[in-house]
Amino acid sequence: MASNAVASQTGRKKVAMHDGFLKHAGFRWLKISSGIILLCIVSYIFIDVSPRHNGGSWYGYTLGTIGALLILWLTMLGVRKRAMTSGSWSLKAWTSAHIYLGLSLIVIGTLHTGFQLGWNIHTAAYVFMMIVIISGIFGIYFYATIPDKLSDNRDEMTETEMLENLRSLDRQLHESAQPLSAEHAALVLQSLEQDPFGGGFMRRIAGKYPDCATRIAQADLRRERAYQPKMGGDDPLDKVDALLEKKEATLARVRRHLRLKAMLQVWLFIHVPMTFALIGSLSAHIISVFFYW
Amino acid sequence: MTFIVRQIATTADGREIVRSNPFDSDQIGIGRSTENAIHLPDLAVNPDHATISKREDGHIVVESTSGQNFTLDGKHRVSVTIDPADGAELGFGGHVIIVGEEEGQILFTVKRVEALSDSAEDRSESTLYTLQGLLPGKRISAWGFVGLVLAAFLIWPIYTWATYRGVEERPDQFHADTMWSSGALSQAHHSLEGDCQACHVDAFVTVTDKTCLTCHEDDAHDHAKPDRLLTARGGPEGFEKIGAAFASAFNKPPGRCVECHTEHEGAGAMEPTAQKFCADCHEGMDGRLTDTKLENASDFGLEHPQFRPAVLQKPGGKNPPRKRISLDEKPTEYNGLKFPHDLHLSKTGGVAQMGRRLSAKYDFGPSLVCKDCHTPDPKGVRFEPVDMQEDCGMCHSLAFDEIGGTVRTLRHGEPDMVRADLRAYYRSTRPTRPINLGGMKRRRPGASNDIRVASDYARAVQFRPSRANLAINEVFSRGGACFDCHGITPPTARGRVDFGIKPVTQTDRYMHNGWFSHQAHNDEECTSCHTADTSNDARDLLLPGIKTCRECHGGEFQKASDVPSTCAMCHDYHADEGAPWLIKEQQKDKRKKPDKKIAQR
Amino acid sequence: MSEWQGGDRKRVSDKYRVVIVGSGPAGMSAAGRAAQKKLKHVLLEKTDHLSDTIFKYQKGKHVMATPSQLVLRSDMDFDAGKREAILGTWDEQTAGHGVNVQYNAEPVKIEGDEGDFTISLKDGSTIKAETIVMAIGTQGNPNLVRCPVEDGSNVQYQLDDPGEYYDEHITVIGSGDAGIENALGLAADAAQNNIVTILNRSPEFARAKKANVKLLMEAKENGKVDVRTETTPSEIKNGELVLETRDGQETIQCDRIIARMGSAPPRKFVEECGIEFTSEDREAYPKLSPAFESTKKGIYVIGALAGYPLIKHCMNQGYDVIEFINGNTDLKPADEPILEEKFSSLPKGKSVDEWLEFFRANISILNELSPLQMREFMLDSEPRRYGRGDVVFEKNEPGSSLFAIAQGSVAVEIDPNDPSITVPIEEGSIFGEVGLISGRRRGATINAAEDLIVVEISRTAALKLQASVPAAKRAITNISTERQLLQMFGSGLTKEDIAEVVETSEIVNVRAGEAIIEEGSEGNDIYVVRVGSMVVEKEIGGKPVFLSYLPAGSYVGEMTLIAGGYRTATVKAAIKSEVIKINGDAFKKVLDQHPDLMRKAKKEMASRQDVNAFIEAKKDSFSGVVDYYSGVANFLIDNGIGEATDVLLIDENLCVGCDNCEKACADSHEGLSRLDREAGRTYAHLHVPTSCRHCEHPHCMSDCPPDAIHRGPDGEVFIDDTCIGCGNCQRYCPYGVIRMDKVPPKKPSLLSWLFFGSGPGPGEPDKAWVADNTDPSVEKAKKAIKCDMCAGIAGGPACVRACPTGAAIRVAPEEFLTVAKLESEDA
Repeated sequence: MASNAVASQTGRKKVAMHDGFLKHAGFRWLKISSGIILLCIVSYIFIDVSPRHNGGSWYGYTLGTIGALLILWLTMLGVRKRAMTSGSWSLKAWTSAHIYLGLSLIVIGTLHTGFQLGWNIHTAAYVFMMIVIISGIFGIYFYATIPDKLSDNRDEMTETEMLENLRSLDRQLHESAQPLSAEHAALVLQSLEQDPFGGGFMRRIAGKYPDCATRIAQADLRRERAYQPKMGGDDPLDKVDALLEKKEATLARVRRHLRLKAMLQVWLFIHVPMTFALIGSLSAHIISVFFYW
Repeated sequence: MTFIVRQIATTADGREIVRSNPFDSDQIGIGRSTENAIHLPDLAVNPDHATISKREDGHIVVESTSGQNFTLDGKHRVSVTIDPADGAELGFGGHVIIVGEEEGQILFTVKRVEALSDSAEDRSESTLYTLQGLLPGKRISAWGFVGLVLAAFLIWPIYTWATYRGVEERPDQFHADTMWSSGALSQAHHSLEGDCQACHVDAFVTVTDKTCLTCHEDDAHDHAKPDRLLTARGGPEGFEKIGAAFASAFNKPPGRCVECHTEHEGAGAMEPTAQKFCADCHEGMDGRLTDTKLENASDFGLEHPQFRPAVLQKPGGKNPPRKRISLDEKPTEYNGLKFPHDLHLSKTGGVAQMGRRLSAKYDFGPSLVCKDCHTPDPKGVRFEPVDMQEDCGMCHSLAFDEIGGTVRTLRHGEPDMVRADLRAYYRSTRPTRPINLGGMKRRRPGASNDIRVASDYARAVQFRPSRANLAINEVFSRGGACFDCHGITPPTARGRVDFGIKPVTQTDRYMHNGWFSHQAHNDEECTSCHTADTSNDARDLLLPGIKTCRECHGGEFQKASDVPSTCAMCHDYHADEGAPWLIKEQQKDKRKKPDKKIAQR
Repeated sequence: MSEWQGGDRKRVSDKYRVVIVGSGPAGMSAAGRAAQKKLKHVLLEKTDHLSDTIFKYQKGKHVMATPSQLVLRSDMDFDAGKREAILGTWDEQTAGHGVNVQYNAEPVKIEGDEGDFTISLKDGSTIKAETIVMAIGTQGNPNLVRCPVEDGSNVQYQLDDPGEYYDEHITVIGSGDAGIENALGLAADAAQNNIVTILNRSPEFARAKKANVKLLMEAKENGKVDVRTETTPSEIKNGELVLETRDGQETIQCDRIIARMGSAPPRKFVEECGIEFTSEDREAYPKLSPAFESTKKGIYVIGALAGYPLIKHCMNQGYDVIEFINGNTDLKPADEPILEEKFSSLPKGKSVDEWLEFFRANISILNELSPLQMREFMLDSEPRRYGRGDVVFEKNEPGSSLFAIAQGSVAVEIDPNDPSITVPIEEGSIFGEVGLISGRRRGATINAAEDLIVVEISRTAALKLQASVPAAKRAITNISTERQLLQMFGSGLTKEDIAEVVETSEIVNVRAGEAIIEEGSEGNDIYVVRVGSMVVEKEIGGKPVFLSYLPAGSYVGEMTLIAGGYRTATVKAAIKSEVIKINGDAFKKVLDQHPDLMRKAKKEMASRQDVNAFIEAKKDSFSGVVDYYSGVANFLIDNGIGEATDVLLIDENLCVGCDNCEKACADSHEGLSRLDREAGRTYAHLHVPTSCRHCEHPHCMSDCPPDAIHRGPDGEVFIDDTCIGCGNCQRYCPYGVIRMDKVPPKKPSLLSWLFFGSGPGPGEPDKAWVADNTDPSVEKAKKAIKCDMCAGIAGGPACVRACPTGAAIRVAPEEFLTVAKLESEDA
C-alpha cells in the first residue's frame, strides 16, 4: 500500500499545520515575544543609566530603534497579506508573529519612555502606539470568538443566497399583496422599500433595528386582524402575514450576519488609520529628536 | 376609437418584452386590481387608482378615482387633460405611462421604472456586507491622520524654529516647538522653558558649551584644561566604542557641558553630577594621563587614595608654607604651640581638679572636653582658631599684681610689654619694711639689732629694681607662663632678657579639594575620629585617615554601608571654597520639604 | 464538365464523382477541395445551414484552433475566433469556391457499390454517386417525438435562446440535462411569464446531473416549473398537449414543445451502409484504410466519425480524402510533420510509416490497430528511448500514463529497500498500468534493463485504445490485476506463485455505498481496491462508526483469512469503485508458502486492529467524540472526498470570512479565483468549500476534446492552455468547481491600490471594473478555470498560505482520521 504510506507522510505535515493563528507552531511567537519582554524588563532593571532611564540614554535609543523598526515591520503585514508572492511563507505565521510581537511592543515602548510622559510629541507617539495595540487586542478577541458564531448563523447559506432569499421573498410579498386594499398595501410597501442593509453603523454593530418596517407591518396587520373573524377561503392577508414572518426571520439572520461581520471588521477601522497616525508621529518624534539634538 | 396599452417588461438579461393589447371603450381604468385595462402590479398604486376617458376633441382626461394623486411629467395631479398628439408621461407609483399616438390610436406605453423592492436593486456584493460607507474609509482616514500629525508635530514646530532663527529672545507666548520638549527643565533653567532656541540654536546640531557659557560666564570654570580632560578620559572601549561611533555619527562631540548636565529631566534641581562622570576620568587615570600627580579614584569605598592634607611646614607669616602629605606617612605638624591634649582631657590630675574648681565659673564638666576650648565656626563646618584669652585664660592666668582688687595681667602676644610691666612693678614697689625700724611695735632689746636690721633693709631697698630681670627670666623660662605654651627664642646676649615668642599658625582647613563638614557629623564623638585623648604632643596631626571615614562612608555601590557616598559628597567638579553642590542641595532640601528625591548615588 | 455550374439544382439526378455527406468542417473542406479540383460533387447538409454542430454553439462562443502545431491544409480558412466570424468565412468561401451545396438533404439509405452508389434522401429524391465521403460527425439526429403531431403545432428539438419566448405554455420533453436546462432557462425570468412543464417518462431524473436535478426541484417548489414524472405525451395538438399519466389521460395547454430526448448516434446508419467498426464499444470507430476508405469500397469516412474531434484535423482530412479519391496516392497526411517531430528522438533511419508499423507490430496491445488508428494513436502518445539502466519512472512519482515496450525490456524494483531485487518485463508488454487505472502514484521504480524504446500512452489515448481494441482492454486488465497483486504483497512473489490467485480473481464493480463485506458475515475472500475507494465501518452501540478509509491500491478482508472467525467490520464503497475479488483459499495457500508475506500481512492486520481498539477505547470513555468523529468522516465522504486526492477544508472555528483565500487564488492565477469559500457544505464547523478535490478519476477528464486536462507531478489535476473552452469539463464535474471565464485585464500595482485606491484591489476584480477596463475590440476566449493546486508556484497552494488564521487546510483523504480527531479535540 505504497500510496497509503506516501499520503500519510505528506499528511502528517499538513495536519500539523492545522492549528490556529494563536497557537501557531506551538506558540512559537508567544514564546519569542515573552522572551523579548523578559529581556527588556531585566535589562531595564539591571542596566543603570544615569541620571535615570529615559529615551535619550543609549539604552533608550536602543529600545527606541528596536521599537520603531518593529512597528514598521508589523505594518508590513498589511502588504504581506495582499501581495501574493510565491515562496513558502504562511500568512498564519505572520499573523501569529504580528500579534505577539505587537504585544511585546507595549513593554518595549513603555520602557523606551522611561516612564517620562508629558504633553509632547513623544508621548503622543506613545499614545498612538497604545491605541493601535489596544484596538489590536480587541481584534484578537473578535477573531478568536466570532468565527464559529458566524458559521452557525449563516448555516451553509452564502451572502449571495441571503440577498437572493430576501429578493425572492420581496417578489412573493409583492405578488401576494396585489389584491390588498390600499392601506394594507402601504404596510407591505414599507417593508419592501426599506433597505435591509441600511440603518447606519450603530444599528449594524448593535444588531438592533427598532424601526424595522417588516416587523411593524406584521405587527400592524396582526393587531388589525386580531379582532376580525377569520374569514374562510384563502385570505391574501394570511399569505402576506406568513411571508412577512419569513422575511423577518431572514432579516434576523442577515442582520446577525451583518453584525458579526461588522465586529470582525470594525476594529480595523481604528487599528489601520491609527497605525498610520503612529507612523506619522513616530517620524515626527524621531526627526524632532535629531532636530533639537 | 381604441386605446392601445403596451406593457413593457424587462427580463433579467435586459431584453424587453412588449405585450400590447387594444381596448374598445372610451374609458379605461388604471389600478392595481386586474379588472383595470391598465393593470399596474404596484403596491404604491390604489386598486382602482384613476380612469382615462377620451373626449370628442381627441384629448384624454386622466382622473384620479381614489383620491390618490399621480404625476404628470413629474408634477403631482389628481386630474389632467392631455392631447395625445403632444404626448405626456404619467407616473403611478413605480410605473410610468407614456401617452402617445400611433396611426390615430392612443397608445399607452407602461413601464416599471423603480425596482419593486429595495433589495431588488442591484448592489455590489463585494461591499454589501462590509462596513464600507458606514464608516470613514481606512485609506482616507489614514492619510488624514498622517497629514494631521505631521503638520501639527513636525511642520509647525519647524516653522516656528525657522521664524525665530537668530532672534535674541523669543516673545513670551506658545511656541509650537515646545511640543518637542521631552520633559520640564530644571528650576535653574525654568525661565527658558518656552525658549527652546536659547540652547537649541541650529537644526541637527547638539547644544554647545558656548550656549551654556553665555549665562554661566564666571561660575563655570574648567575642571582642568580641556585637552588634558579628554586625554584623562581616554578613548572609548568595548561597548563605549559603539556609543562613541554613534555620537560622532550623529555629531555629538565629546566633553560638552551637557554630557554631565543632562536637562529635560523634569522640574526641580538639576541632577548632581553622577560619580560615573568622575570615574570616567579618574579611574585608572595614571594610565592615560601619565604625568598626573593625582592618584586613581573610582569609588570612595573601592578605590580612593589616602587623604593628603596640606600640612603646615613652618608656622608664622601670612600664608605659611604647606605641603600635602599622605596621612599614611604619619605627618606631624609644628604650629608653634605646646599643647598636650591628653593632659587636658584626662579625667584625673591637676587639670581636671582645676576644672572642677572652676566649674562653677565656666560650666566645665567633671573634666575638660574638646568644646571647652574649641568653638565651631558659625556654619559649624570647621572650628574657630583657639584664642588665648577665650580658651586658655580660664586656667592659664597671666595675673601678676593686684592693686585695690584690680588684677593686673601680662599682655598676651606682646613680649616687650610683658618685660616693661614687670620692670615697672619692681621699680615702683619697695620690699616689706621690718617692724623694728620705727613704728609702735615691740622691738628686741639691744641697739645692735636695730642697726643690723636697718642696714639689711637699706641694702634691700638698694637692690630692689634688679629683681625685675629675675622675674622676666622666670616668665619666659621653663615654668614660666609663656614657656608653658609657646616656643621661646633665647636672649640675644648673656645677662640680657630680650626673650622672643616663636610664631604660631593654626590651620583651619587641611583639605582644600575635598569637603568635610563637622556639622554633618554632629552626633559623632570628636574622639571617635580625632585621637586627642592619647596625644601628648601638639605636633601630632590628629586627622583621621580614610580608613576611619570608611567605617561609615561606603562607596556609591556599597548600599549596605551607613552612608553610601558618591564623589559628589565631598568633591565638586567646579570646586570652590563652598560646600559641594550636592551638599548644598541636600541642605536646601532639608530646609524646604523635599518634593523629589535626588538620586542617592 | 465545363458546362456544369456550381449550385445548379436541375442536374442533381446525374451521377456525381463524389458526394459529401455532412457539411461540417471535414465535409465542407472536402467539398471545397472537390470544387477546386473541378470534380463533379454535391455537399449534402440535412439542415438549412452549414456545419450544424458549430452553428449550435452558443452565440459569440470563441472557437479555438488546436492543435496549434498542426498546419491547416484546406481551401477553407480557419482560425480561432468567434463562432459567427468562422461560420461567416466558411459560408462565403463555400460560395466563393463554387461548392455545390444541397440543404435540407438528409440521406436515409445508401445502396450500391463503388462507382455506382444510390443515396436516397429523406424527401424521397435520390442521388447517384461514384464515391461517397461520410463526414456526418458524431452528433447524430435528435430522437423525434413518436406520438401523433397535429401540423401547425410547433415542436422543436433544440432551444438556442430561452429568452426569446414569453407568455407561452411550453412543455419540455426529456429528463436529461439538456431538457432540464432548457426548462429552467424558460422559467428563469418571471418577466417572461412562461408556463413551463417538463415531462419525464420515469419517476426519477436518473440521467441528469445532481446539481441540475436539485435546481429543477427548487424551481418546482417555487412553482416555476411544473414537473410531471411517469408521464408521456400521447398526442400533440395546436395549443394543446394530451398527456399519458399514471392515472389516465390529461390535456394541458401547450403552445410549444421542446423535445430533448437525446439523439441516436449515426453509427446505425453508417453500419447499414456496410461500414464495419473496430468493436462493439460505444467509443469504437469505423475500420479505415490510410486513405480513410472504409471496409465498404468507395465510401470514405472522415472527421469526428473517423475519430478526429478537432476542427483542423477534420478540415485537413477533407482535403486529403479528395486528393486520395482523385488518385493522389503519395500525399502525406498533414500530421506527418508532428509525427516526424515525435520520432526525431528515436534512432534514425526509419520513416514515419515504418516507425508506426514497428510499434504496431512489436507492441501486443497495438497489434489490431489500423495504420490510420496508429497515426491517431501516436498523435497523443510519446515514443521514448532509454539507455541501459536509465530510470523510466520512480516509485511514488505521480503519473497516469501507460508504457508499452516496443524494443528491449525493463526491470521493476519490487523491494523499495533493496533495488537489486527486480522483476523483468519483456518486450511487447506494458507497464505503469496501475497508475493508469487507479490514478494513484507509481507503485515501483522501473529501470531500462537494456537499450529501450517505449511508447508512453497518455491516459486518454489509453482509454480510447481500450475502447476501440477490446483485446487490448482485456490484456491490460489481466496484466494490471497480476501486477497489482505482486506489487501489493511484494516480498519476492513471482507470477507463478500467484497464478492461481489471478486465475480465480474477478473484477467486481461496486456502486457507491454498496458493501463488499458485511460485519459479522461469513467469508474469507480478500478484496483489492482497484478503482475508487472504500470506507470501513463498525457497528458500535447500534451506530455505524467510521474506522478507516481505503484508497485504491489497498486490500481488505485479510483478517478473517488469517485470524478466522466472522467479518469484524463492514466495508463499503465510498464512491463507484472497482475491486478485485480474490478467492480466500487460493490466497491462503500463497500465504502459507511465503512466511514473510504472512508476517507482512499480520503486521498490516495488527495496525488495523489498533485502530479498532482505539475507537473502542474512545467509545467507552466518551461516545460523543466517536459519534462526532465518524459523523465528520461520513460527512466528508458524502461530499465526494472519497474520490479526492487533495481537498481544501476550512475550519470555521477559525475562519473570519476575510476571503483572503479567494483573493490569493485569484491573484496567483491571472485574476480568477478557483474556489468559492462560502459555498459548500458544513458539518460541525468543518466546511468543504467549492474547490477542486483533484479526484482520483477526474470526471472533468472524461471528455476533453483537446485532451487539455492532466494530472500534474504533485497529483494536481490541471487544465493546460490548449483548452478550447468547450465547457465539457464544467458539465462533467459533479462538484461544480470548474468555471468558464475570460481572463480579466491587468490590475494596477498593489501599492497604488494600497495608497491611492486605484483599481479594484486584491482578488478577483468585480464585473463592473472588468467591463470598464476591457478593450472590447480584442476578442478574448472563455477558458475552463480550475484549481491547479498552485503547481509551479513556490510555496504551494496560495489559499492555505494566505489564510491569516490557519482556517484553510489541504488534506488527502487518508488524513480524515487525523483531521477528524483533531476536530474532535478542538470541539
